[in-house]
Amino acid sequence: MKGANQNRRIYIAMTSITYAMKAKDILNRLGYFCEVERTPKNLGSGCGYSLRIKDNPDLITPQLDRYSLPYKGVLYG
Amino acid sequence: MNRNSDKPSERGAAGLVNFDNSATTFPKPESVKRTVYTAMNRYGGNPGRGGHRLSVETAGQIYRVRRSAAEFFGAQTENVAFTPNCTYALNMAIKGMMQYGGHIVISGYEHNAAARPVYALTKRSGVKYSVARIFDSPEKTAEEFDRLMTPETRCVCCIIASNVTGRILPYKEIAEVCRRKNVCFIADGAQACGVLDVKLSDGINFLCTSGHKALYGPSGTGLLISDGRYSLSTIIEGGTGATSSELAQTPFMPEKLESGSINTAGIIGLGAGLDFVRRKGTQRILSHEKSLCRQFEDGLREIKNVKLYDSDTLRAPITAFNIGDRDSQEVSQLLAERGFALRGGLQCAAVAHSTLGTTEQGVVRFSPSAFNNSGQVKRLLAAVRSIA
Repeated sequence: MKGANQNRRIYIAMTSITYAMKAKDILNRLGYFCEVERTPKNLGSGCGYSLRIKDNPDLITPQLDRYSLPYKGVLYG
Repeated sequence: MNRNSDKPSERGAAGLVNFDNSATTFPKPESVKRTVYTAMNRYGGNPGRGGHRLSVETAGQIYRVRRSAAEFFGAQTENVAFTPNCTYALNMAIKGMMQYGGHIVISGYEHNAAARPVYALTKRSGVKYSVARIFDSPEKTAEEFDRLMTPETRCVCCIIASNVTGRILPYKEIAEVCRRKNVCFIADGAQACGVLDVKLSDGINFLCTSGHKALYGPSGTGLLISDGRYSLSTIIEGGTGATSSELAQTPFMPEKLESGSINTAGIIGLGAGLDFVRRKGTQRILSHEKSLCRQFEDGLREIKNVKLYDSDTLRAPITAFNIGDRDSQEVSQLLAERGFALRGGLQCAAVAHSTLGTTEQGVVRFSPSAFNNSGQVKRLLAAVRSIA
């Protein structure tokens, strides 16, 4: 499934920059690509940070749950 | 380990040998200075305040320090909050726990950083407090804390190692009493972190410490680390870079406790300080500094009229002394004139001096760092002899 969504911009909106950084740290170690980016304004409200991912979010979100990393939702750009 | 990379090249503008490292360590490791310089040059964004790379890369550096501090003290990364110093951390913890009243127990060795916020709370919020006596026996001291707790007791605040004499309080035993009674335990680790192996798993709910003392970071850095069990009310609110559309303060750690722009270069420098302590090893630093204290105390015992304080107790590497009845600040001034920086007076610890019976005279405090050496102690002893 890795790389299946390379043509789409997929974001997982995180609750804070700290959790976003921690999630990136953990996901990178698990072999998943992700970058911390500002949540695009048309996708979110306020000043939030998201993980921009390339893999299927159904693979990523269980990892976030496993490591108790709170996220607000999956967004598609 | 590249030892030369840590070796400082300066003695400071005043040209003094610094034995006042309990106030702030100086000199700093070269690696810390280089890192701060790099931070000022490369990581100039405001972390958590923008989506551009300058901000995000700076946030990445801050995150690395947060993770490093979390690993060092056995915490979750998100439960490490950066503060300007230990005093801010203690104020945030004490007032955050006691904002709605109740009773707090402090030790008889507290620094003003803990004692003054507690006193202020008694005036503003009707908080009650008790001061626990410290005994030679750890068990008896723990029993004293236990005895002073009431059904209204919300927390205990205890210094781990006295900033006046270095005496190590039985904080693990006190923490156990708190755990048993479901009372929050706040520990002041300013003189302990970096020389003692302090962990949250010792039973600490909030660990407050400075970054610029035995963690060798720049001044203006401190840490408030939570084990996640208790939630603090905030005493400062503002921009956190999170939940910005809401007027209510960000509810989660660490942003909740980090309103306003943080000391980016200082915090990144603190990361280098933590790396320095890790490379050297807490035990090795402690052993080195204790040997300097022993050398100094052995020399002092041969000088007539010198009095040592808490010298027969378990201590962090600090030596407190007086020469006869002479004012401690006068003695420290005479030593400064001979090329040595030591701290006289009350060391901002009125409660501790009341316990020691030294409120009038104060004490002269000797506190070495990883960078002091035996030759410097030998010369200091000669200076003490010359004025005794």
